[in-house]
Amino acid sequence: MVKSITIFTTNTCAYCAMVKKWLDKKGLGYEVVNLDEKPERQAEALALSGALTVPVTVVTKHDDSKEVVVGFNLAKLAPAVA
Amino acid sequence: MADDPTRTSAPIHDVVMIGAGPAALSAAIYTTREDIDTVLYERGVVGGLAAVTDWIDNYPGFPQGISGLEYADKLREQAERFGAQIELGEVMRIQANVKGITDEGKYKRLETTDGEVLAKAVLIATGSDYKKIGVPGEQEFYAHGVHYCATCDGAFYRDKRLVVVGGGNSAVQEAMFLTKFATHIDLLVRSDHMRASEILQQELKEKHVDKITVHFNTTTDEIVGADGKVQKVIGANKTTGEKVEFETDGVFIFVGLKPNTEFLAGTDIELDEIGLIKAKDNLETSVPGVFVAGDVRSGATMQIASATGDGATAALYIREYLDGHSRQFGE
Ligand SMILES: Cc1cc2nc3c(=O)[nH]c(=O)nc-3n(C[C@H](O)[C@H](O)[C@H](O)COP(=O)(O)OP(=O)(O)OC[C@H]3O[C@@H](n4cnc5c(N)ncnc54)[C@H](O)[C@@H]3O)c2cc1C
Repeated sequence: MVKSITIFTTNTCAYCAMVKKWLDKKGLGYEVVNLDEKPERQAEALALSGALTVPVTVVTKHDDSKEVVVGFNLAKLAPAVA
Repeated sequence: MADDPTRTSAPIHDVVMIGAGPAALSAAIYTTREDIDTVLYERGVVGGLAAVTDWIDNYPGFPQGISGLEYADKLREQAERFGAQIELGEVMRIQANVKGITDEGKYKRLETTDGEVLAKAVLIATGSDYKKIGVPGEQEFYAHGVHYCATCDGAFYRDKRLVVVGGGNSAVQEAMFLTKFATHIDLLVRSDHMRASEILQQELKEKHVDKITVHFNTTTDEIVGADGKVQKVIGANKTTGEKVEFETDGVFIFVGLKPNTEFLAGTDIELDEIGLIKAKDNLETSVPGVFVAGDVRSGATMQIASATGDGATAALYIREYLDGHSRQFGE
């Protein structure tokens, strides 16, 4: 079960818009961390994903375990939020 | 004789469109307005390359220009308003004409990552993807200092140095976009001139001369780094033969595009020498009932305005084809 979802995005990232739209359709809420507005949180996104790219979606489960999905990747995102 | 499609549970549609870039979305606006049952399969981002473009200045009707993301969103909204379902999956290969179109009978069969689907007509609008240069370090540092999408990954290079490789419209446009973040950009151009349009070259000279240094006749031979971080690009000056090095935190590569037609291997759909799909005046390919639109069409001018024009043209000819199809098959 999902406790919370955080998406690291930027203003211009088209794949981020896809992730958000997909979560909207599923009726799942999420917090957005816009790295254009909060560049100080870039290191956090990098540490979580291991890559210099967005979107990075962090799904926190009820047992506080986390799943990190890099990019718009439904094969990983769908089971992560199931 | 054709397979009986009813033996499978594959869904049947009037038109299946492969891709959801400007060409297919425009075609879908036309077909769905006329109640032609239409499904688009898109493996990446709705809006295609237009969605990952920072700013579009030359699309008619937007005097101030429009951001690629906003344009893509408007196109999607308009297509969805009339009922196009945008399913997410990748069409792995199209089986429309493996044994010839008459053998297939009424339908083209498409195999997708979401299973099989049958269509009376198909529109291929798969565009193209960025080419790789194929040098040491390119694969190793992918997404760790080597990138192909400035609007996706540029923000990680605030106050950093960058190298951009390429001399066409995309390279120049994206280098200018990256000046929002980077302190300095070395633009490496292989030949002695740029392929980018005059207007972009002018903008580069007038507005970005302090941040972007253009290096002509410069090859990109190796991307070097340590501890998962890019440190420099090694190349050569083609005129002098001397080795050149550029210290950098990241490399963005825009050296041209490769048509997305690999999935057509083994079909009767005719391609030109660079892999683009040949079409008749009505945008039908060498396989009846299979149409092509946008950047992936042989002879396309690779612009959003022409891709949307192709989409509209293809849609109108698809409607004509479907009329003939129902006369022939009685539906
Ligand atoms: C950096 C950059 C800047 C640009 N700037 C401009 C500009 O300012 N003005 C302008 O007019 N043009 C510009 N262009 C060109 C413009 O983006 C293209 O001409 C236009 O997007 C072509 O549309 P399309 O629908 O033919 O293809 P695309 O936009 O490439 O869309 C094709 C879609 O098909 C999908 N696809 C591919 N294969 C499959 C498959 N097997 N299964 C499912 N889906 C698949 C892809 O994921 C993609 O979304 C720019 C291009 C780039 C790269």
